[in-house]
Amino acid sequence: MNSMKTILTVDDSPSIRQMLAYVLSSNGYHVLEAADGEQGLALAKANHVDLVLTDQNMPQMDGLALIKSLRALPQYAKTPIMMLTTESSQALKQQGRDAGATGWMVKPFDPEKLLEMLRRALGASGT
Amino acid sequence: MSDDARQPAHLSASVSDHAPIEKLHEFASRLAVQVDSAQCEIGEAREILKDAIDRLMPAFTAQRSGDAQPVISPSRREAFSALQFQDISDQLLAHAQTRLNHLLSEVQTLTAALEPSAAREVGAEQLSRLVDAANDNLAGLDLTLLKPVANAHLRTGDAEFF
Repeated sequence: MNSMKTILTVDDSPSIRQMLAYVLSSNGYHVLEAADGEQGLALAKANHVDLVLTDQNMPQMDGLALIKSLRALPQYAKTPIMMLTTESSQALKQQGRDAGATGWMVKPFDPEKLLEMLRRALGASGT
Repeated sequence: MSDDARQPAHLSASVSDHAPIEKLHEFASRLAVQVDSAQCEIGEAREILKDAIDRLMPAFTAQRSGDAQPVISPSRREAFSALQFQDISDQLLAHAQTRLNHLLSEVQTLTAALEPSAAREVGAEQLSRLVDAANDNLAGLDLTLLKPVANAHLRTGDAEFF
């Protein structure tokens, strides 16, 4: 059985997506990439995703809207969804929590901290 | 001041009263040009930053033949944190562009109302309303525009689980 986990990264910055793809794939994860919430939602519907890592400020559909849309889908009701954003206001974090985010990481991210957070999230979800 | 003293100035106002309006129109036009130029320059700066990172990124993300383990070396780890400056600065610049766009829109509204062809119809009251509306819109900008980047430095951010 292939235990490689699939992580969906959603960020409108190509350089951030490229960095995330490198960090995640070189640590044994299968990576799907989307440039905004709409693309992310479409990819999540078309694939099995073990964890979603999303930015907040994006065109078309932002991170909070994506989380709400994903949580409305039965298959993503308990999937870990992490916010990775430059936003750090408590008010927005609360909105993230209310929308169903699992956790929040503020950019710039440290690759090792990010990997540790993802391992914890995946471990807790048992997916 | 008597009515007699006021009347000549009032009667001769048809020509001279338009001079301040025309000057104001010229000022608003120049302001619009400068704001537009500032927007373009910010756009160019964003392109330069993006281009620099696009060229730099492959060198960091390429798997090198000497990489025995998929481990992120300390130097590369630092580089990844630092390279995210483009994303952060781009968001700040985009925010400044949005702010300038609002400013440009207000100035253009004022410029259009002060067009020499329309200037004869602009009274002090209408001008006051235009300026009040522009003032209100600009005063409300900070309420409607959320600053996107609170963490505008290169220290790595905090992480938390909910």
